[in-house]
Amino acid sequence: MYRYDEFDRRFVDERVAEFRDQVERRLTGALNEAEFKPLRLMNGLYLQLHAYMLRVAIPYGTLNGRQMRMLAHIAETWDKGYGHFTTRQNIQYNWPKLKDVPDILEALATVEMHAIQTSGNCIRNITSDPFAGVAPEEIEDPRITAELLRQWSSLHPEFTYLGRKFKFAVTGSEHDRAAIKVHDIGIQIVRGEAGEVGYRVLVGGGMGRTPMIAKELRAFLPKADLLPYVEAILRVYNLHGRRDNKYKARIKILVHETGIDAFRDQVEREFATMDRAAVTAPEGEMERIAAYFAPPELTEKPSAPVAFERMKTLDPDFAQWVERNTSAHRVPGYVAATISLKPIGGVPGDATAEQMRAMADLAESYSVDEMRITHEQNVVLPHVALGDLYKVYRGLAAIGLEAPNKGLVTDIIACPGLDYCALATARSIPVAQAISKRFASNKRQREIGPLSIKISGCINACGHHHIGHIGILGLDKAGVENYQITLGGESTEDAALGQRLGPGFGYDELPDVIEKIVDIYLDLRQGRRETFLQTYRRVGMEPFKEALYATAD
Amino acid sequence: MAKEFKPSVVTANDLIEGDSVFLGALGWVRDIAEARVALSRDEAEVLEADGVAGEDANIVVGPYLIEVSVATGRPVPVLRRERIRVSGVPTIPFGVAAPAERRAA
Ligand code: SF4
Repeated sequence: MYRYDEFDRRFVDERVAEFRDQVERRLTGALNEAEFKPLRLMNGLYLQLHAYMLRVAIPYGTLNGRQMRMLAHIAETWDKGYGHFTTRQNIQYNWPKLKDVPDILEALATVEMHAIQTSGNCIRNITSDPFAGVAPEEIEDPRITAELLRQWSSLHPEFTYLGRKFKFAVTGSEHDRAAIKVHDIGIQIVRGEAGEVGYRVLVGGGMGRTPMIAKELRAFLPKADLLPYVEAILRVYNLHGRRDNKYKARIKILVHETGIDAFRDQVEREFATMDRAAVTAPEGEMERIAAYFAPPELTEKPSAPVAFERMKTLDPDFAQWVERNTSAHRVPGYVAATISLKPIGGVPGDATAEQMRAMADLAESYSVDEMRITHEQNVVLPHVALGDLYKVYRGLAAIGLEAPNKGLVTDIIACPGLDYCALATARSIPVAQAISKRFASNKRQREIGPLSIKISGCINACGHHHIGHIGILGLDKAGVENYQITLGGESTEDAALGQRLGPGFGYDELPDVIEKIVDIYLDLRQGRRETFLQTYRRVGMEPFKEALYATAD
Repeated sequence: MAKEFKPSVVTANDLIEGDSVFLGALGWVRDIAEARVALSRDEAEVLEADGVAGEDANIVVGPYLIEVSVATGRPVPVLRRERIRVSGVPTIPFGVAAPAERRAA
């Protein structure tokens, strides 16, 4: 994985020292809140409902055992012993004290981590495919591109104060696990006509109060042109994007109002006339970065080792977990194992320090010292030999993280909502917990098949409700929590925004409502292989509407 | 017509700790039971100004008035959001308590 060079190290150390000084000046009163707020936000520090909240970047979601241990150490030393993994592949601490934050940042810097670009109107932490470097169908590891973009964006003075936050996602596979179509810029690594590697560039996707699916800006961009091209996009955005209205300031609005063709003309014009050489990555830089992401040397192994097969027969729970939570690896005899942070009734994405350490142990022993955080708020051990899988499973069971529910109805995404978040209009975590308990039975979950429920506690959509097969948006209606439901959202290559079912439901009604939606699906599906999303796309909203609203008085 | 006045207290986040605090008779307190309650618009204005002074003095961040009910003697915020803030914790078991409770269930 990527290691800091001297430059990165100095940059982060300087930022920590600078922020320590700023916090000191804040505590002595030399800086007031109006002066301090933008400074703390540039260092990932928010003020939430009950406390400050520190958001730590995990670039493209990749981290090693040492880093995960440090996250555990921070949780225990300066927080309440746990952290929350987010849909942006980051981690949030919910209880840090202002005076401790410089120490936390200093501790993070010792393991090459920081909280820069996790907040504010800048280019945010760049997200990627949790199966990067693993997926058999991948063209190239997307983290190389993500890292190049990270370096370009971290140091770019022109783009530190954008009109609004700006999010990139990169995938190296046709099958999109990075939700690139709901990002400001989505990048897909593709092959050109002659088989050369380049990029397909999408622009103008996003969620929030005005959700949009990104549009194609360029079907094929030669690899070397990446930085000048995205810089051209950012320049057009910086020039024409609205700054008068926060809600209209994202690039998706500009693209939508300008029209994709006119927007493309502007970008291409900028691209044609700019000094590209000044922006292009220096010769050899891509290779330098790529070397950090060189695939680990794994020796091919039998694809069905005897002991592994035997354990599956002896322990049916293990067999279920293998079936649900492991994914194909490009090297025979290995899989990527997903650790679900969604135990039945748990808080989606939360992990205690003890669990973090145990995951770090497992990664070090059985996954070439690597982990990935997913935008579904789970953790992936990317390189596990089949022969080691039972040990991994037992290790997870010991810390309560062996739920065999990846991609199933209880693998619920939920933002912190009104239990933590100052912007929330309703709670999301207890809603997730109630639904999770309702569908606790493994048998039933497997019967239902792939189904993603995503919950946000307000219109900002951190819980990605727009792209959940079932989306739940918590609102406040005259002081009462009210939940709007959308159906048919999807995050992958055939991304779609969910459509509203109808009037919202009360907090207590939700588990019943979700169960009803699921039952209607089970009733209507044409055979077990038709997924919820396929059924919805075939039958549309009507049958669901009818069943849910017709019977109500 | 102006909105009917409801008894109010001033709340904010503590500058250093970040937790919810309330303006009491002698300064900022952590227990809303000790908060000063404004019973009229005029009192609320004074209270709010005192809150802002707390921010200017770098004791708290973001002071604002919240409506409370005083039926039981102890002020209880009208809004759910503020009731959750006053409790100081999420409405669900969290952190190390969460998994343990699940195992017991
Ligand atoms: S969606 Fe709203 S409630 Fe949820 S974390 Fe984002 S801002 Fe907070």
